[in-house]
Amino acid sequence: MTEFEPVIIGLTCNWCAYAGADLAGTSKIQYPPNIRIIRVMCTGRIEPEFIFDAFRMGADGVLIGGCHLGDCHYQEGNYKTALRVSITREVLKSLGIEPERVRLEWISASEGKKFSETVKSFIEEIRRLGPNPLKGAPEA
Amino acid sequence: MQIVWTSTLHSYMPIFVSFLHPLQQSQFLFYCCLISLSSLHAGKALNRPILRFQSSSWVRTVSRTGKSRGPEEPRIGVFICHCGSNIADIVDVKEVVDFASKFPNVVFAVDERYVCSEPGQALIRENIRKHKLNRVIVASCSPRMHETTFRKALEAEGLNPFLLEITNLREQCSWVHMHEPRKATQKAKVLVASAIAKATLLEPLTPMKFSVTPAALVIGGGIAGIQASLDLANIGFKVHLVEKTPSIGGHMAQLDKTFPTLDCSACILTPKMVDVSRHPNITLWSYSEVESISGFIGNFKATIVEKARYINKSLCTGCGTCASKCPVKTIPNEFDLGLGTRSVAYIPFPQAVPLIYTIDKENCLYFTKGVCRVCEKTCPFKAVDFNQQDKKVEIEVGTIVIATGYDLFDANRKPEYGYKQYKNVLTNLEFERLISAAGPTGGQLVRPSDGRAPKKIAFVQCIGSRDILTNPYCSRVCCMASVKQAHQAKEKYPDAKVFVFYIDLRTFGKGYEEFLWRVQEEGVNLVRGKVAEIYRKPKDENLTVLFEDTLLGQTREMDFDMVILAAGLEPRVDAQQIQKALKLSMSPDSFFLEAHPKLRPVETHIAGVYLCGCAQGPKDIPDVVAQASAAASQASIPLIQGEVVSEPTIAYVDKELCCSCKICESVCVYDAIEADETDEEKRAKVNEALCVGCGSCAAACPARAITMYGFTKEQISKQLAALLTEPT
Amino acid sequence: MSAHDLTQKHKLLECIQCGMCTGVCPVSKKTNLNVRNYMREAAVYGELPRHPENELWSCTTCATCEARCPKEIKPYEFLIDIRGSDVEAGKIATTLRDALESVFKNGNPWGRIRSKRTEWTQDLAVKHYAKDMDFLYFVGCTPAYDPRAQEVAKSFVTCLEKAGISFGILGTEENCCGNEVYGMGEKGLFEHLAEANQKLFRKYDLKQLVTSCPHSYHTFKNRYETRNFEVNHHTQLLANLIDEERLAFQKKLGKKIIYHDPCFLGKQNNIYDEPRKIIESLPDVELLEFDRSRERSLCCEGGGGRMWIDIPGPRLAEARVQEAIDYGAQILAVACPFCLSTFEDAVKTAGVEDQIQIKDVAELLSQTL
Repeated sequence: MTEFEPVIIGLTCNWCAYAGADLAGTSKIQYPPNIRIIRVMCTGRIEPEFIFDAFRMGADGVLIGGCHLGDCHYQEGNYKTALRVSITREVLKSLGIEPERVRLEWISASEGKKFSETVKSFIEEIRRLGPNPLKGAPEA
Repeated sequence: MQIVWTSTLHSYMPIFVSFLHPLQQSQFLFYCCLISLSSLHAGKALNRPILRFQSSSWVRTVSRTGKSRGPEEPRIGVFICHCGSNIADIVDVKEVVDFASKFPNVVFAVDERYVCSEPGQALIRENIRKHKLNRVIVASCSPRMHETTFRKALEAEGLNPFLLEITNLREQCSWVHMHEPRKATQKAKVLVASAIAKATLLEPLTPMKFSVTPAALVIGGGIAGIQASLDLANIGFKVHLVEKTPSIGGHMAQLDKTFPTLDCSACILTPKMVDVSRHPNITLWSYSEVESISGFIGNFKATIVEKARYINKSLCTGCGTCASKCPVKTIPNEFDLGLGTRSVAYIPFPQAVPLIYTIDKENCLYFTKGVCRVCEKTCPFKAVDFNQQDKKVEIEVGTIVIATGYDLFDANRKPEYGYKQYKNVLTNLEFERLISAAGPTGGQLVRPSDGRAPKKIAFVQCIGSRDILTNPYCSRVCCMASVKQAHQAKEKYPDAKVFVFYIDLRTFGKGYEEFLWRVQEEGVNLVRGKVAEIYRKPKDENLTVLFEDTLLGQTREMDFDMVILAAGLEPRVDAQQIQKALKLSMSPDSFFLEAHPKLRPVETHIAGVYLCGCAQGPKDIPDVVAQASAAASQASIPLIQGEVVSEPTIAYVDKELCCSCKICESVCVYDAIEADETDEEKRAKVNEALCVGCGSCAAACPARAITMYGFTKEQISKQLAALLTEPT
Repeated sequence: MSAHDLTQKHKLLECIQCGMCTGVCPVSKKTNLNVRNYMREAAVYGELPRHPENELWSCTTCATCEARCPKEIKPYEFLIDIRGSDVEAGKIATTLRDALESVFKNGNPWGRIRSKRTEWTQDLAVKHYAKDMDFLYFVGCTPAYDPRAQEVAKSFVTCLEKAGISFGILGTEENCCGNEVYGMGEKGLFEHLAEANQKLFRKYDLKQLVTSCPHSYHTFKNRYETRNFEVNHHTQLLANLIDEERLAFQKKLGKKIIYHDPCFLGKQNNIYDEPRKIIESLPDVELLEFDRSRERSLCCEGGGGRMWIDIPGPRLAEARVQEAIDYGAQILAVACPFCLSTFEDAVKTAGVEDQIQIKDVAELLSQTL
């Protein structure tokens, strides 16, 4: 059996985490290719349903990356995200999905290294948790 | 409530809920409601009005069909960039092209060496024509790099520029998975699939145009701010120059001579300062601070607080009677870094601009003890006004230039050098004041401990710089500043022994290396080795310097009677206020971050806000002046254009779906979405001028009535599906 | 370890050759030890530094080089690793070898038998440590065996008794803490000692340990990996007792006292204020300060195995004693048995016995009670 390769969806804001990921690239800081990123302008755009959708469609983990609290390009978007994510985790828990599969990190445009470290440690964590428990469940 | 949620969460409800135990089901629905309400909590925490439910609107039949997706069937062209070898060496570009061309709506797919190049853009345009493309995907570098370039290519072919989707195969694929080409290729395919999925749902968008207030705000009155203000004013725009201290001039006014030409700093600076004060287009707000800034490019509003000087600026002629009559004359002069004194009524230095006196409230006998008022009695122009209050002024500007400068590193943070503990250990800036003819000693370079001329002087480099424990970066100016100061010391006292202790001497500018040779020939000794410690023998103000001459590999001790510490440059302690007010980014060294290190060096990520001088990072005067002119030129572009185009990726309310719950109103910090008072049902409406497109409202809307253009729920959902489908 | 491994382990490639470590190195006054050169040889040329033995062994592991390094490199740890390979190869002075052997055989580096470890307590009623006691007094090899340093242990015990603290010692069960063994590069023996000591501490369910030796303090605090007890230096505990007014001063001292910061207490563990607080609270005392004090204090040359190897050249301790006299001090106060020993020697070799006395802070305190 081949080793479990987690698939991670990254939802990152344009100004900080996406730029941080770009900086990781420019600086050639390597990390595993398990993460696939969708860019939104602000993490405040992220609906809990995006996260549910990701798990329903088979993601093993969702990494949400925004600006540091107080540094949001749109002032308060990341505070809203923090709140939404914490409740989304509760819902996931009641659905039998480990809440650790959603990680929220504040990564600034200058933190390329932090981005890559975060991705690496998250992949490791998901590897420990194993595949998304919904995988293989019948689609209704 | 359940009904609303069943409709909004329709896509996964059947799957999840059916698996659940009844108890879990109710729990799940409860949480779903919480998520929606979480927006309200956020609102509450931020002191926004708590909303009232309008129960009748909550249950509404939702229709999601029939929404138009553009006029025609998508015809997608995919252009995959090699980026020379940057992408193509890792990702199998041909394989990705094959993969892309198999998608139903993809009518054309090709790879190209540099899509951003002239031939690359021509390729896009040619194929838009040839294949009647109505969606374009470029798989290349980050969209943050060339989005505008490619949008223009679409526009040139009469295609709406927002029918472009860029996917990031370089920064977020080939460059970060350099050792896993196979996996990188698979990932590239998935990313392209995601772009195709999104592209099928792209809609043509039209940007809004806004008029621009033809004025600029320059924050900081050092040489950077002065130059930027003069340039902008000379182009013909109104400039508001805000300076925190009583006079403009900044650090450059404190310097004696400038390297390598040895121009007198004051002589070249003060005419510019006078120009500022006389320029009809410049309003100088000295002794003032910017309290808050709101708005957006072209339409900023700033609140300036003009601090009370207790002297009426329109009456004061700068005659100085108040200062000469003031009984308190022993206040350490900030301008002379405490090496000299001033009276309570003061100007920082003789050439101050504006030439208006200021009463220092903290030390004034009238304010502290209720007595004196001598200045008020003796002022020949009756300009003293003890009742003056801080004044708030609101101004409107189109663009903003940040020129807030630097703070000198506090040498006390390096206890091994005994700064402030030993009288004859001084910083480089203190040396400038000592050797300046306008300084506290009238230009006599003497030891503060006994007023004697020093016979042996050491210059110690990299104080606080190139040091992980303090500032890891090189402060750039200190090497040349110390070499210049060593020259000046030698000039004053040809018999004095002068040593410069350095790690690396960085003399990178025009004429700098040549100047170093000259100074070396003058007899200044250069020692490679950072001074490790300075100590003083008991009962003596002489200093022993411990160091290793790393070229000899010898550790030595030498006695000096004066040591000058080359303290580095640091971000202003209060720079964060401006950073927070404007949401600017900082680089890891805590200086302001430019939009691009090479190609957009004076812009910031905030449209309409520009950077220059040491606020962006340490630099010397020639670089500061050049950068200030660059910032002024950039800042004048929107002012000259007279109108700015806003991103059309903003929110839109579908009134058919809106249930007037006002949750969106409570989450929007820009007041850009509000109940439409003209609407019978008070449904939400977006103010397109104010909406910045963050998407918070769309995420919070329980009725899914808000579409966030460019990032719609449907687009993201399709992207997710594509990203989670393994490519073949 | 190869030059490559050392370069990786100590991050030597980050060195910018500024010369701070060497410039501040206290032993550079007596030997040609140049740790910057050593590091450069390893990092740039991949060669293990080969220099005269007295250079390598002159390092006192005082850690001033680490404190000054702008790149957070620990040059002295790099030297310890080089010592390690010499120790492994048997290239080591006989005095050092004897000390290490004695640690292995007797649990102390002084070549004394284990049963004599409690000799200093014979006139005192010091109890063996039991689980219900508040503190374990870890005496340390030097205060246990060295006649001069025994006075410190005795004085400290007096202070504890007067304050009514419940404490005990481990008697002949007590073992070398291993700090100097580590400094000599014998890391295998150090691990063995650390394990044995941890086992012993666990047996007694140890919660609070107090020691008179900054070297033990440092090693317990920072080098014992799975420590689950609190470590105190005697100056910390005594300063606390003074704060809580549990000690009554009876006699005046009437002296000018200058305090010397031990490297392992000051620079390496940031304990600067407690010893000064004790001295300042003594009746009729004037506390003087060296110009080079606190994080800029000089090294007495007692650490890093230097108690067991003589490196010819000027003695830093003599210069320090002379400096203390120049400041007008009558007593040079210390808080470390090695400082005590090196300064006592320096007073004798310099012939200044009539001008200055060397005293541990605990001795000064007990004199006034």
